[in-house]
Amino acid sequence: MECPHIPKIGYGEFGKRLREKIGAKRMPLAGSLELTFRCNLRCVHCYLGDARAGNPEKEELSHSEICDLVDQIVEEGCLWLLLTGGEPLLRPDFLEIYTYAKQKGLLISLFTNGTLITPQIADYLQDWRPFLVEITLYGRTRETYERITGVAGSYERCLRGIELLLDRDVPLRLKSMALTLNKHEIPAMKEYATGLGVGFRFDPMVNAGLDGAREPTNLRLAPEEVLELDLADAERAEEWRRFCARALQLAPDPERIYICSAGMRSFHIDPHGLLSVCIISRGRSYDLRRGSFHEAWHGCLPEVRDEAASGAYECNQCELISLCGQCPGWAQLEHGDQEKRVDFLCQVAHLRAQAFAAQPPAMPSQGIVVGRVDR
Amino acid sequence: MSFSEEIYRHHDSIVSRRIEDEVILVPIRQNVADLESIYTLSEVGARIWEQIDGRRTTAEILHLIVEEFEVTEEEAEKDLKEFIEQLSAIGAITRV
Repeated sequence: MECPHIPKIGYGEFGKRLREKIGAKRMPLAGSLELTFRCNLRCVHCYLGDARAGNPEKEELSHSEICDLVDQIVEEGCLWLLLTGGEPLLRPDFLEIYTYAKQKGLLISLFTNGTLITPQIADYLQDWRPFLVEITLYGRTRETYERITGVAGSYERCLRGIELLLDRDVPLRLKSMALTLNKHEIPAMKEYATGLGVGFRFDPMVNAGLDGAREPTNLRLAPEEVLELDLADAERAEEWRRFCARALQLAPDPERIYICSAGMRSFHIDPHGLLSVCIISRGRSYDLRRGSFHEAWHGCLPEVRDEAASGAYECNQCELISLCGQCPGWAQLEHGDQEKRVDFLCQVAHLRAQAFAAQPPAMPSQGIVVGRVDR
Repeated sequence: MSFSEEIYRHHDSIVSRRIEDEVILVPIRQNVADLESIYTLSEVGARIWEQIDGRRTTAEILHLIVEEFEVTEEEAEKDLKEFIEQLSAIGAITRV
């Protein structure tokens, strides 16, 4: 029913209106909360997981600590919250945490591998409907999927989880990481999702481990293969054309190293209560067990966010910076230096600019070797 | 019972949030009319929403609105009635 006193508005439209209203002011509208680093799968490309997550003995945030943090972020204006992991459903108190956050009026997205979804959990999500559930699909055959996840039986359990949510009309989207091991099944994964009537996206940009481990990057596609996947999907190619048109209009900022919304509109909290500007950029974090979210958001994160670039940083002077995804977080993981160029990102960005920009920028004469297979 | 004596309370399937100067109603459970959208409230709507607490009568709320906003009692009563009907229709309030 459309009523004149209570205008109904879509979430996307409302988000846009809110961001316009907030303008240049910092406000933690969207956050991600890793409930655990633990996972029941052993994915070969995982950048965190129990194996890479620092001190495994360190205690995860308790249920009451999480509820307290939820209260604090709501107080500061958070509306969108992503619950992720590790595998968040491994926490026995997951539904209690989820319900608490829902009751506070947060719009909850859930990232899961889907293998632990039971009929009871699906029933609960049907009643307490999330904003979105995203399940990662690692392949469209058992062999490929389990070659990546390393756990026998996980493919069937994932498909079962997908069915359970679909049967109950829970908002669902599928996604994948495009790796050397599953690249050939990306089209079949999309076809499967389309057949189910749900959205599908994939990401070929594999970053190094949180501990700096290079193993995940060995599974990267070559830059040319990334572009091939973009071009093979007409819908995706069109999205890249539109994105290029927007991104190439944004002027680089040679003064700063951050150009995104990290620490401006968004934040990340890890399972031990460490607050950082985003899920990738965790070089400087603040222990929320020792201070409040308010203090950290207003007192500490601005220092990270406003960090000035040294004269040696070349990427923030590049016209493709908004297209390529180069950021201090990626560079830190790749090189241990937040201002060093990530060649993989750079090469893919140049290829995409050539393929999708209405007026492709000139190719660099040196520095970037486009065409070289460099993972 | 006449309209002026009615008392309403918020339904626990919908939550209100104030972010910046926007007041929104966020549906959180399945039995609310539409989970795909949120509802935004005007300044007057937000003030009425705050007053719906399971204790105040609609007459008391009407009195407050007439005092705080530039509106005639007649107009305010008509709008309040419509607003209460619409909040009930989307499952945001229930009669005590």
